[in-house]
Amino acid sequence: MSSPLSLRAALVFAALALLPLTPWMSKYYLLLAFDALLFGAVAMSLDLLIGYTGLVSFGHAAFFGLGAYSAAVLLERGVTSLWLSLGLAVVIVGLYGLLVSYFATTRRGIYFALLTLIFAEVVYTVFRYTQAFGGSDGIQGLPPPSLAPGVLIDTPARNYYLVVVYLFLAYLVCRTLVSSHFGRVLAAIRENEDRARFLGYDVQRYKMGVCMISAGLTGLAGALYPGRAAYATPDLMHWSISGEFLIMVMIGGLGTLVGPIIGGAFFILLQEKVSSYVQWYSIVVGLVLVFIVLFVPKGLLGFRGALLQGLRRGTP
Amino acid sequence: MNFAHGELYMFGAYAGIAAIGLTGSFWLALLAAPLAVGILGAVTEVATLRPLYRREPLYGLILTFGLAMVFREAVRQIWGGDMRRILPPVEGSTPLLGMTYPNYRLFLLVFASALLLGIWLFFTRTRAGIIVRAAVQDAEMLDGLGVNVPRVFTLTFAGSAALAAIAGLLLAPIFTVYPQMGVEMILLAFIVVILGGMGSMGGSVVAAFVIGIAQSLLTLWMNPQRVAIAIFGIMIVVLIVRPRGFFGREGVLE
Repeated sequence: MSSPLSLRAALVFAALALLPLTPWMSKYYLLLAFDALLFGAVAMSLDLLIGYTGLVSFGHAAFFGLGAYSAAVLLERGVTSLWLSLGLAVVIVGLYGLLVSYFATTRRGIYFALLTLIFAEVVYTVFRYTQAFGGSDGIQGLPPPSLAPGVLIDTPARNYYLVVVYLFLAYLVCRTLVSSHFGRVLAAIRENEDRARFLGYDVQRYKMGVCMISAGLTGLAGALYPGRAAYATPDLMHWSISGEFLIMVMIGGLGTLVGPIIGGAFFILLQEKVSSYVQWYSIVVGLVLVFIVLFVPKGLLGFRGALLQGLRRGTP
Repeated sequence: MNFAHGELYMFGAYAGIAAIGLTGSFWLALLAAPLAVGILGAVTEVATLRPLYRREPLYGLILTFGLAMVFREAVRQIWGGDMRRILPPVEGSTPLLGMTYPNYRLFLLVFASALLLGIWLFFTRTRAGIIVRAAVQDAEMLDGLGVNVPRVFTLTFAGSAALAAIAGLLLAPIFTVYPQMGVEMILLAFIVVILGGMGSMGGSVVAAFVIGIAQSLLTLWMNPQRVAIAIFGIMIVVLIVRPRGFFGREGVLE
């Protein structure tokens, strides 16, 4: 079996690690890069479901938000250890993910999407209206988390490195997964679920498995968020955020892992850059989406592939 | 599935307010708003949704999500983000069954019933309505019979946009009008459609009654948040036990 980390991917990650050393990476750009990579990682874990298994989850914001609240609740009470935050996030998101995936995987297509959406809306409603979690304001003004006693993750650069490491590990997990036997069964389910079942695979177990992995990775990403933002709000769980995650995957290209990372980063950068020039950035972002669906349905990565092919054809 | 439907509903309310401002008449606005939004719907359908017929439904979902963002922000830019209210065109109230009802609500009840009856008659008794149903069931066959299927889809979309606009304007005197109003409504609308069964109008009406009554009854001994969660709970159970809803055909979109 080939190594999950190709030379090209290793070079990209090395470049990401060196990025803060370049002179033009101000604090603002480091935080922007943090968001871009974090949401890129979320989109990648969502791609496991959509691109590789053919399951469209419309409720990933709940996994992200539950992870964020897990960390926020601990930080609020003075428990600053990052490892405890991550641990709690895995437990909470895991339990919720087990519940959702158990019920949602009994249904296919649009019904799967709707079930994940409604479960997520329940979580959103609970957090939005529970005063112990700060209601609609969420939990604000959190202290920075610590990697070890005395080692705080309190600068944009440290947060940035944290997310690079997270993205690196998550990428290895996803890459290994999709090239394993497990990943091939997922592809078989995507192509023809009934046939996979007749071949003797316990389809629901595989689907639940990949849901849990995707949810867990998203929850971990969520747990990193309060360290950078110093808050967790119910807005992180709103269904429109789930929609944005889906869009990131689509922009990048389904079933490619790398594509959704680019898609997530592209979406965050687009939103941030356009909104710094005009107030009506939603119009621009919305139009870009419409354009991508109409003219680049395979996503940015697919677009590049088509472009390269066209160039090769042009120069025999 | 159309994520921008809530925004068409919102457009209806804003177009109505604009028309009231121009003409001073709610009733003229009730004609003008659906007309304007219907045209917008037709243009949108031809320009963006028509190229997607042969693709996965997921693309339509994401496209309409993008359109919803554009529409919402356009309204915010044109009319501002504040909450607005309009006065009900029918004033006074009537005592009925020991309670006092605002006349406007009674008017809504009658108007909505008439509208539903009209839609039902259209789909079951007219040639055009039967063609629309046939287009949903087997577009290729209909095409083979010489019907211009893309035009049917465009007109259906425009009609559904116009209906959303009517709903938006009719509810404007009761609810407040603001750019996010469509987002708040669309989930409830999905829930009603799924619960009733896709493609079954009677089902949608029954489901709307069930949700409405459940909401009112539960409010008696729960706070609104718990009620919202309970409604979601009903929805989850229906989706798991009987995903086609009360009266839906089996296998639609599954």
